[in-house]
Amino acid sequence: MSASRGAHRAASVVAALAGSLFLLFLLAPLARLIAAGGASGAQRLFTDAELRGSLLLTAVTATVAAAIGVLGGTPVAYLLERKRFRGRALLAALLDLPLLVPHPVAGIALLLVLGRESAFGGALLAAGLRVVGSPLGIIAAMLFVSAPLFVSAAREAFGRVDPRYESVARTLGDAPWTVFRRVTLPLAMRGLIAAGVVMWARAVSEFGAIVILTYNPKVASVLSYDRFTSFGLSEALPVAAILALLALVPLVALRALRPERGAQEA
Amino acid sequence: MIAAAGLGARAGDFELRDITFSVPSGGYGVVIGPAGAGKTTLLETIAGIVPQTAGTLQLGARSAEGVRPEERGIGIVYQRAYLFPHLTVEANVLYGARDAGFARGIARRLGAEPLFSRDVRGLSGGERGVVALARALATRPPLLLLDEPYGALDPRRRAMVRREVRALHRELGFTVLQVTHDFTEAGLLGDVAVLLDAGRMLQSGPPQRVFREPASPYIAEFLGAENIFAGTVRVLGDAAPDWVAGEPDVLARGHRAIEFDAGAFQLYTVGDAPAGRGHAVIRGEEVMLSETPGGGTSARNQLDGEITDVATLGALTRVVIDIKGTPLVASLTTRSAQELSLREGQHIWATFKAMAVHLC
Repeated sequence: MSASRGAHRAASVVAALAGSLFLLFLLAPLARLIAAGGASGAQRLFTDAELRGSLLLTAVTATVAAAIGVLGGTPVAYLLERKRFRGRALLAALLDLPLLVPHPVAGIALLLVLGRESAFGGALLAAGLRVVGSPLGIIAAMLFVSAPLFVSAAREAFGRVDPRYESVARTLGDAPWTVFRRVTLPLAMRGLIAAGVVMWARAVSEFGAIVILTYNPKVASVLSYDRFTSFGLSEALPVAAILALLALVPLVALRALRPERGAQEA
Repeated sequence: MIAAAGLGARAGDFELRDITFSVPSGGYGVVIGPAGAGKTTLLETIAGIVPQTAGTLQLGARSAEGVRPEERGIGIVYQRAYLFPHLTVEANVLYGARDAGFARGIARRLGAEPLFSRDVRGLSGGERGVVALARALATRPPLLLLDEPYGALDPRRRAMVRREVRALHRELGFTVLQVTHDFTEAGLLGDVAVLLDAGRMLQSGPPQRVFREPASPYIAEFLGAENIFAGTVRVLGDAAPDWVAGEPDVLARGHRAIEFDAGAFQLYTVGDAPAGRGHAVIRGEEVMLSETPGGGTSARNQLDGEITDVATLGALTRVVIDIKGTPLVASLTTRSAQELSLREGQHIWATFKAMAVHLC
């Protein structure tokens, strides 16, 4: 009895040690980065116009990408979650593909479709819309790599809404679209906003695909890379630290948006 | 009116097959069955929520084919209520109502109006049930489907709500189909009982007939029949024997006299059961007990044995009598049991009419 208790205690100590080391590995680099560059990064916000412009560009393009993702991804997520149709599983798997390819590869793939040599990219250029080397390219890259995260999280949000709420609303006289607007959407709203925040955060942190499509104008991730390669670690540090601090914003938002326990138990 | 003929439906892996029954316009139907029988699926098929895969379904004067749930004129109340948690109680009740005054009146009668200012998520199970009922009735549906709506109500509120729903049913004339586990409720409320098990209909008809004349020993057991005996049916002939003389309706019904050999004893009955192996079902409340053999009675079945158990549950007492090794259960009022001073080991006579024996 006491031997087994001793073994249990030893296992607990090993597990706690392993867990602590794991957490340390994840958090220490970011903590060190913020400690080293946070103050100077905050100072640079007032003095470095390129950094301010880059952050603004990042925020705007990520917001536009997230908005497009929410508008296009919400019906797709709803269909995948609620409807049974042939090829549903295949479509769901294909939607995850952008998450699995290396991001420069995603950028190259986008370049093939949106570049000036491509039919579509050429047509856009003829219509006055330049994608490569413009904010549109940034938005396209952000959308490509982050939209699957939104669809996946939005599916979960819809999945948490018991279909019987919708059934009851139908029997109370509402057509499917009205049920979606009056019942499904409000019940899934917190989860959908959280999914949008995840997508936005992922878009802000994107580098690999953006750098292929639009090196200039520079988003914050590209700027930190540019400063690192051009001027060294000391110049890259403040930009990197600001980006790490900005990542706390969606983190706090996501905690606030966690679904309430039993919120849908009525 | 709800009329289903050969109705089939599929919900995931579950299949509902060959359901046939009819509840007249303004009638009250009850659906009985064990968990997993398909009771909720049946209601959802009628509501158009689960797609119908076979048969026909008539709702009122029209066929339900191709009619969407929102056009069927159906109110559904689930056991779990499914109140919209993002809306107030009042907004839930008024959700589908065209006449807010009427909806509020319904809520008042069911006792849901005092809850209007409460948060839906803070309601008790019983309160949710009442609000869900008010929400469904507020749309004035010609058909009301109830999936064990009274389960979460405390006994006092259950009696009140049941009474009000009955009163509204009479006043507004809607048709009801209610799922219940409560056989007493089924017997009291229903014009039609539908018995389901494993997605199939076992039997349907007036509740009294379903209870008294179950179609199989399984149904009899499910419906709580105390005495089910396996044995052999012997048809005594087309002409009624002398012992049917006291049963004026027997010949009129064209039934034949039958002797049922249960091994330890013989039973006499009438019916149209074929000769051969079969089962005899006698409900406990049909069995009368006396200390001496009953003389001057028309009851054809008289058996004697020894009491092996007397169990009192409130006003009712359940007595088990050993008849040549076979237990026979009698249900009687506790007062009768006391007057007879029934006790274990006592010798007793059990008497029941031929008509109390149902063969299946």
